[in-house]
Amino acid sequence: MAPSAMTDVLETDDIQGLVVRGYGTLHAARFLLLELTNPDAARRYIAGAISRVNRASESPADVALQLAFTARGLNQLGISEPILGTFSREFIEGMADSVRAESLGDIGANAPDAWRWGRANIHAMVMVYATSATIDEHVGHELAELAGGFRVVHEQRTTHLPDHKEHFGWRDGLSMPTIDGVPSRGHHDHPPKPSWTTPLAPGEFVLGYRNEYGVQSESPTVVLASDPTNQLPYTGDRTHKDLGRNGTYLVYRQYTQHVQALWRALASNTTDAEAAIVLGTKMVGRWPNGAPILDADHDDPAKATNNEFHYGTADHNDRVGLKCPIGAHVRRANPRDQLAPDRTGSDSIAMVRKHQMIRRGRPYGRPVSETMDPHELLTAPADREDRGLHFICLVGQINRQFELVQRSWLHSANFNGLFKDGDSISAVRVRDANANDEFTVPCEPVRKKYKALPAFTQLVGGAYFFLPSIAALRFIARAPASR
Amino acid sequence: MRHRVHAGYTLLLPLGAERVKAAAAWLAGAALPFDRCGSTHFATITILDADEYRKQPLPATLLFATSFCGPADAHVDELVQAMGSELRELFANCERFSATHDLAEFITKNRHSDCFYSGMQNIAPDDVSRHAKLREVIEQWLGAGNITGTAVKVRARIQEFVRSRDDLKWALEPDRVAPGTWIAMHWRTLTIVATLVPIAGLSIAGLFYHPAIVGAVWLAVVLLVVAVVFSIRLSEDEQTYVSTRQPDEKVRALAATQNRPVINEFVIAGRIKEEGVMRPMVLRAALWLVAWLVQGIPRWRTPIEIPTVATARWIAADRGRRLIFISNYTNAAEAYVRDFIDFPTGARDINISFGFGRGYPKTRWILNGGAATDPNAFAYVVGEHQRPAAYWYRGPNANLSIDNIRLNRQIRAGLVGTLAEREAQEWLHLL
Repeated sequence: MAPSAMTDVLETDDIQGLVVRGYGTLHAARFLLLELTNPDAARRYIAGAISRVNRASESPADVALQLAFTARGLNQLGISEPILGTFSREFIEGMADSVRAESLGDIGANAPDAWRWGRANIHAMVMVYATSATIDEHVGHELAELAGGFRVVHEQRTTHLPDHKEHFGWRDGLSMPTIDGVPSRGHHDHPPKPSWTTPLAPGEFVLGYRNEYGVQSESPTVVLASDPTNQLPYTGDRTHKDLGRNGTYLVYRQYTQHVQALWRALASNTTDAEAAIVLGTKMVGRWPNGAPILDADHDDPAKATNNEFHYGTADHNDRVGLKCPIGAHVRRANPRDQLAPDRTGSDSIAMVRKHQMIRRGRPYGRPVSETMDPHELLTAPADREDRGLHFICLVGQINRQFELVQRSWLHSANFNGLFKDGDSISAVRVRDANANDEFTVPCEPVRKKYKALPAFTQLVGGAYFFLPSIAALRFIARAPASR
Repeated sequence: MRHRVHAGYTLLLPLGAERVKAAAAWLAGAALPFDRCGSTHFATITILDADEYRKQPLPATLLFATSFCGPADAHVDELVQAMGSELRELFANCERFSATHDLAEFITKNRHSDCFYSGMQNIAPDDVSRHAKLREVIEQWLGAGNITGTAVKVRARIQEFVRSRDDLKWALEPDRVAPGTWIAMHWRTLTIVATLVPIAGLSIAGLFYHPAIVGAVWLAVVLLVVAVVFSIRLSEDEQTYVSTRQPDEKVRALAATQNRPVINEFVIAGRIKEEGVMRPMVLRAALWLVAWLVQGIPRWRTPIEIPTVATARWIAADRGRRLIFISNYTNAAEAYVRDFIDFPTGARDINISFGFGRGYPKTRWILNGGAATDPNAFAYVVGEHQRPAAYWYRGPNANLSIDNIRLNRQIRAGLVGTLAEREAQEWLHLL
């Protein structure tokens, strides 16, 4: 029976598990980027795989499978143009669209023309999470199952780095928003002025539920006649069936990381190893082990996961960025209470809460140092290893969440009053009239500026996917003639 | 010395139906030398399509809108001197213009009222450029040496450096407020006072001699206002059309015109909601009041500051039957639209102005509902009525965000006079 459309408790039995968990205990993951070769066989694969797909209601023991599709992929699977047209514009056009790429700052070395994948023939993604001991077996099984319907374009491997770190040597995945409405976590009544860490309305990440505006995000729909067997839930006004409910959009960007280049730049701009680590920490906004620089004057393990801080409060009062620079990566990606100098902190928090993402990224490639000790990273010799980050995030609205953060906060050289400061960690460098290759560290009596910084990452692929609900997977798996 | 109050100069000139294509073709190849008009920050020229409101025609119209600083007559003189022949060619497509017209007189007579917001008040384009240059030179000087000492001493060294540069000495002189600034900023307040004081005086005096008549007049006024308010309220419930998702190709094409890295331009134009005969009048009154509030009210309320907006202008065109919005802003269009509705009171504020536009989600008592309860429809209605301008002049400072311009101005202001250690340090934080 189709569920009601306005409940704010997530129907976890119908939601793919990645929405509520990152599968942290399953250290190995592989992302199979697929091109569809035989629609009938592809649909049979999907129908057969549904029982193996991990749902949000189940904690997996040793393997979790997730399925996602691009707009082209859905079309190839027989989702008609009218139905496809109800998905969000950005999903339909794709990440590699030329207007979108320019807007996101995917230009120069990051332009889609130079990508390894993502421009054309990616139709689906099978995500396999497992233990290191069993990943090959599980991936092998899926490869055998999907072989008739799909061709593997890229088999994206991942790496498990110690202490939740990414390749540059900093702890990643902190400051993750929490979702309200997950039954096992209980429901939270929102205070009149939610703080930064108050769980976010489920519609921010899962279609079919109310978001932080108090309304449902746009969700793809089908006409009633397209769902004769009543697989999909009704929309709120019962005029259509909701293809998007319990699904979410998945943004995938593959970045290579030039680890030695970063540490070389840090070393060349400082006098000793400790100063280099401090400069890197200023660029990131957290110490390598995670402690926010706003709240810790050294890499304090006790504060490694601290997320309860604001930039303009009486406790920290760091409006000018003396502790955490305005241009620090974490301050740009999540400005908390300091989105603009002449708005109140509560306004800023209300705005920032509408631009959050659930991040599910994983690193790939052999690390520069197995220990990820910053001192070892600092002195590591250059190599030709391909390493980086599979940046993956889940959002209810791609343009409002991922794209706004990427363009207006991370890429913009003028973010929050800055002049030429692109994001030190992720920006592609621009050296024209809108140069963004500086990093400003507020100090007393006067700030220090680091100029002509190179790019430390390169975008080499990306695509927008839809991570459907279980019901929607069944709908997609049916032959077009029966829709 | 002229004042530098930033204002909008708006012309709405009906085009003969047969001249629309010619005007569009002229604009497509236009190269207007606005850079020779030192008072002009931005300029937008476009053509509004013919439309109709309650079965009455709204003519195709040339929209000519500059944002400028200083006295309006001086701005007009500059325009005429810099591009008189080009403007004559353009205006020749307009119904009201003839070759025998005195151009300055024509422009002045056809100026249309607007509700104008400036994020950079009392500053000329040349000031913005000079401030940016000042900052850059100080930046370079700071980067060349190891700067130590107290904030007061460091600031003194910067002052000394600036003094040593002939091209920067101006920055050590106070940026004086020119005569006429207060009146140019607050003429609406003066108008209200000049209107209300005599009315209050007459009412009080009348109470002594003809209290029944005064009471009746005031009762009539109150009843009239109540009737207007309830008329609008009833028309809100009658609304049948709310904008829906716009074609993706259209939204993409619009996004492509607003991909510049810092300053972008935003134009929306469309007829207002047809439900409610009082709407045109109320729209004009509402925009007049909004214009009064955004300029600030002496001793009561400071001017509004919106972090991403350089200019914003609402125009009640065709006697309130068509609503136009023009903005120069820092951001991309879709993110800019979010700026209006992402914080709790923002959506309510824009209901007052945008809420009259056709397709805008239903409001209640003008302030409630609307974008606050239907943000998706707000994005749709913007997309429905947005259009790229046929011609856009973005001035010499389009690589500076509005925050940059404000910081540069504070740096320039802080060079003058003496500061205590704490104040000096706060000033140094700007660099």
